[in-house]
Amino acid sequence: MIKKISLLALFVVTSAASRAQDFRYGGITADELYLKTYKNDTSARAVYLNDYGTTSLNIGSDDHVQIMHERHVRIKILKTQGFDKATIEIPLRVREQDEEVAEDIKGFTLNVTEGGVETRTQLEPAKIFTEKNNKYWKTVKFTMPNLKPGSIIEYSYMLRSPYWWYFPEWMFQDDIPKLNSKYEAHIPGFWTFNVSLRGPYKLTTNNAELERECFTYHAAKADCSHLTFAIADVPAFTEEDYMTSRKNFLSAVYFELSEYTNLGTGAKIKNAKEWKDIDYSMKHSDYFGSQLKKKDQLKPYITPVIAGKTTELEKAEAIYAYIQKNVKWNNITSYGSEGVRKTLDSHTGDVGDINLALVTALSAAGINAEAVLLSTRANGLINKLFPVENDFNYVIAKANIGDKTYLLDATDPLLGFGILPLRCLNDQGRVMSLDKPSYWIDMPTKQRKAQTSAYDFTLQPNGKLKGTITAYYIGYDAYEKRKAIKKFNTTEEYVENLDEQLTKTKIISSEITNLDSLNLPITEKYEVEIDAFDKGNQAKLAFNPFFFDRITNNPFKLTERLYPVDWGMPSDDRFILNMHLPDGYEVESAPQGLGISLPNGGGKFITNFAGEGNNFTFSNVFQLNKSVYEPEEYPYLKELYNKVIAAERAEIVFKKK
Amino acid sequence: MRVFYIAVLMLALTTGANAQQNYDVSLIPKDLLPYASAVVRNEEVNIEVKDDDNTVYHVKRAITVLNKNGDDLARIVLWYNKSNPIRGLKGLTYNEFGKPVGKFSEKELVDQSATASYSLFDDSRVKHFIPSIGSYPYTIEYEYEQRSRQSLNFDDWQPNSEPGLAVEKSTFVFICAPSFRIRYKEINVPVAAVTGTTKDGLKTYTWQLKNAKAIRNEPMSPNKEEYLTSVKIAPQDFKYEGISGSFTNWKELGQWNYDKLLASRRALPAATVQQMRDLTAGITDPKQKAKKIYEYMQGKTRYISVQVGIGGYRPFLASEVDQTSYGDCKALVNYTQALLDAVGIPSWYCVVQAGSRKISLLSDFASQGQGNHIILCLPFKNDTTFVECTSQKIPFGFLSDFTDDRNVLACTPQGGKLMHTTKYAAQTNLQARRADLVIGDDGTLTGSVNTVFKGTQYDNREDMLDEPRTEQLKRFPKLYPSINNLEVDAYTFKQDKNILPAITEDLKITARDFATNDNGKLYFSVNPLNRTGRRLRDIRNRTTALYINSGYTDDDVITYKLPAGYKPEFNMPNVSIEKPFGKFTVSATVSGDKLSFKRHLQLVDGTYDKALYADLVSFYEAIADADNYNVALVKK
Repeated sequence: MIKKISLLALFVVTSAASRAQDFRYGGITADELYLKTYKNDTSARAVYLNDYGTTSLNIGSDDHVQIMHERHVRIKILKTQGFDKATIEIPLRVREQDEEVAEDIKGFTLNVTEGGVETRTQLEPAKIFTEKNNKYWKTVKFTMPNLKPGSIIEYSYMLRSPYWWYFPEWMFQDDIPKLNSKYEAHIPGFWTFNVSLRGPYKLTTNNAELERECFTYHAAKADCSHLTFAIADVPAFTEEDYMTSRKNFLSAVYFELSEYTNLGTGAKIKNAKEWKDIDYSMKHSDYFGSQLKKKDQLKPYITPVIAGKTTELEKAEAIYAYIQKNVKWNNITSYGSEGVRKTLDSHTGDVGDINLALVTALSAAGINAEAVLLSTRANGLINKLFPVENDFNYVIAKANIGDKTYLLDATDPLLGFGILPLRCLNDQGRVMSLDKPSYWIDMPTKQRKAQTSAYDFTLQPNGKLKGTITAYYIGYDAYEKRKAIKKFNTTEEYVENLDEQLTKTKIISSEITNLDSLNLPITEKYEVEIDAFDKGNQAKLAFNPFFFDRITNNPFKLTERLYPVDWGMPSDDRFILNMHLPDGYEVESAPQGLGISLPNGGGKFITNFAGEGNNFTFSNVFQLNKSVYEPEEYPYLKELYNKVIAAERAEIVFKKK
Repeated sequence: MRVFYIAVLMLALTTGANAQQNYDVSLIPKDLLPYASAVVRNEEVNIEVKDDDNTVYHVKRAITVLNKNGDDLARIVLWYNKSNPIRGLKGLTYNEFGKPVGKFSEKELVDQSATASYSLFDDSRVKHFIPSIGSYPYTIEYEYEQRSRQSLNFDDWQPNSEPGLAVEKSTFVFICAPSFRIRYKEINVPVAAVTGTTKDGLKTYTWQLKNAKAIRNEPMSPNKEEYLTSVKIAPQDFKYEGISGSFTNWKELGQWNYDKLLASRRALPAATVQQMRDLTAGITDPKQKAKKIYEYMQGKTRYISVQVGIGGYRPFLASEVDQTSYGDCKALVNYTQALLDAVGIPSWYCVVQAGSRKISLLSDFASQGQGNHIILCLPFKNDTTFVECTSQKIPFGFLSDFTDDRNVLACTPQGGKLMHTTKYAAQTNLQARRADLVIGDDGTLTGSVNTVFKGTQYDNREDMLDEPRTEQLKRFPKLYPSINNLEVDAYTFKQDKNILPAITEDLKITARDFATNDNGKLYFSVNPLNRTGRRLRDIRNRTTALYINSGYTDDDVITYKLPAGYKPEFNMPNVSIEKPFGKFTVSATVSGDKLSFKRHLQLVDGTYDKALYADLVSFYEAIADADNYNVALVKK
């Protein structure tokens, strides 16, 4: 739901510097003061009465270009639960000597007694704190004094930034409603930004005016575009379960630099207007293109790795495994690298370090490999209206072998060749190769998670079930199973723990195969004895075939769903149970076979019962075939689960003949 | 000459190398490997008190990481602030065979703010680092020095504090001038302190742990402090942020806290003092007065934590809280004291270790760092009431499971006093439910459910009381997940905000497809309202005692009206178990078209013999089986 805003709209030319449209600081009306609830949402814990921001580019005292971003907020606190809105955090970028600063911070809390006596408590400068979070960020924090339900808080500050290419975005929406949310941008003609709007709400104000000669730098002068965006009565954003990044849905306006003028030389510099510009700049950058060209540097590392490997696939698998095992991910996402060789030497690195090293190492082995830029699920969807390098926060490798392509992420040593971690399965990725123009590919690949279990049990006269359980885990399920096993120091410890967990099941022997063969399905096989029935001697025994993983709770509980359900990737679970009854027993009643499906092949649940003499077979398939279900599909999904829960209650009854 | 020089250098190097320990992984004693993800090969922690405002830690540590799970155990995490700077960290990494393969220094450490998520601002910071050599196993060896400009608090020695960490050898040495007197508390140490004297005439106390196996996480274990090795040290004469003091017991430590950190913080503006007097005018019972003032404080203030320097121990001025209406636990307790002073009600500032795990201040060992929270004690005649001052809604005199049933230090004008907070017994923490339900022919469930939540179970619903209706309605299906398609048609909450509070929840519900019709049979879950669900992991060769941190009682009675013409196919559950740690009874009986289901579960807090753990496993097993029971109804 990203819309491009046309800047070609008619400009209204204003004479002087246009008047600021900020609301008056401290000018609180009686209506605001005595407001008890917000009429459009009586459950609101607080409401923005006014939220105003303005950003302009100008020249700072150091003669450098700077961004000045002013924010002015007035909030009515309606309930004590709304007190959290009175603690403000302003994140500031810090890089060496170039720091963003927040200044002119002021604020007050206004309370009124029942008798109508107003008191204003000012925010004290001594109670404004600056925390140095890490190398890159600082945070200015303060909290408003003297809060009560009914308080109005008002604050404003100015953020000054030397990073003029990061034009601040504006969030129209928050987790409390806003009566008015307005943003003004003053952009001198020396700069061009692409503007995009996200979210379902219509702008109630969308103006573009021209301001004459609003910007001067020595002799250079420029007119400014003065853009005003506003939305009135923006509802609170409520998060739902099974949802991707909230950023994908929040109403906001974003700015991306597309072109600027070098104020010293007057030269116009394109900042990626089209993909070919981004392709060019990335291919020539130290952090990306140059790293991909360092094949020769990596050759000494991979020559021993691929020694003896004949096919390209074998080589690729060996290189992938080598980087997976040899470099530890430091949990930082990135798409560039300071040096791929350094990464291999230091055995630790960012995503960019690891996966660019992988691409380069694959190329060094003569394998056709490309890098794929992507945005993780937490980072949100990518803006496809115009190319924005900063939308990406991750990179993976794409190996093209024969007529097949494999997407590879070496940050996790347990991932099979061609399996991506869930965080990568988001929207689309942009393939960047050194010799071709870049292009999009779908990121939710064919990847799926699947498991199949086979139970073969014989009922013993003492009421115990004896037999075997064999389970195969495929695709992402194999990865998750490996992760679960590797949480233990040895497989013996894993099995011991499993045995302890399944208190009614005694594991007599176990066999786990392909634990370390990441490209094969992993198999668990157990010989077990289960205490199924207290006494084997009853005339009738009831048995629920879903005795290991019975679904009893519906994960979908809402009556109304606003946003899509994010299931991650298609899933496929199936089991087959073979049961042998001792002589003298027979099946009295069994559940009816059942088949339920979602519309448009979205998923299905099937059970089947077949019995003859004292043997019977019960099988079940549960598939969800989509990664994302639209809100319209929610009722079906919910109902499918209802039916599954109902079906899984039914029992097989056997009796003595 | 040149040749000779190199030879000397090489000799020096080899001597140095010989002094080094051999970190070959194969040298780790085999019996240390089970359940271990990492092994401390050698650790030397030295604390030297050079002066009362200058303590120096020298830490040297070598850890072998056996597999990926050990990375976190070997992670270097150093907390510091302006008063506790770190110096000269350097380290080496070794491969499996003990051969050095890399080195690192302080500049590789990532520096971050350590402000807790609940805090607005805190001056503490952390530096951390995960070493890597690209394969397992590997060993890291590092050392650093940390200075501390005080002599009140010393870090505890806890050589095997994490599950999965085995210890080959760890040594702890405390060094000070003979005149610097200390007390120490040894917990589970294999050998008592060995004292000695350095060549400079300083006194040393030495402890050592050797060949300690990795601890396995065992469910329902006592607090770690009770079964792990540790040594705590407290000074007699000390200095902290420029303030001197001396103590040998809780009385003296409480006195120091009162005199130096608390006594002069309670002045209030005259108007506020008068306001308190007006507010309580006409109330004679001091407890009722205190309640009135407490509720005023709750309505006025909110919790905001700011910790800088001495501010970690000393509250904001009461007059400041009066003006800003916020503060942390110290500030809000101190402010409440000031308000109570205004009407002549005495109160004590109490240091407590808060959290749902009950951890007591040690009755036999006084030291400053044992608590993390402050509550208030109101020492009425024949009635001691404790109150929590950081919540805007908790009832007067109710502590919940956050600070209940544990030793706290009251800092009174007459000195420190160890007190015990309110205990909420198993029968007090009651959830009592009565439900009248009807199952229709089509499987639809309708009826009413009435539940009373008392004691610590009051918290089961407390946080949703103030939520908007729309959110409350979204919560019910999550609170009763075993009823599919649950629709709450009407509901009320009644809150009794007493010292022992209660909430009564009344629901009118409908749920379609509650019962499944299959092959002419009707299946439904007999206990859809209160399922424990949990089964306990069986632990073979358990090492720790069985510990139940808090007790509770759940009592459920459900009456179902069944559709006409059906009867149960099987005998229904009928279980009765009584054990030292609790009892569980469940029964289901049919009479006419009525099915009556009764379930009573009580778990009694306490420490029990570890042999009883197996009984607890089967106890939970019986509960889960009964809870999961599906009634199958057949046509009569």
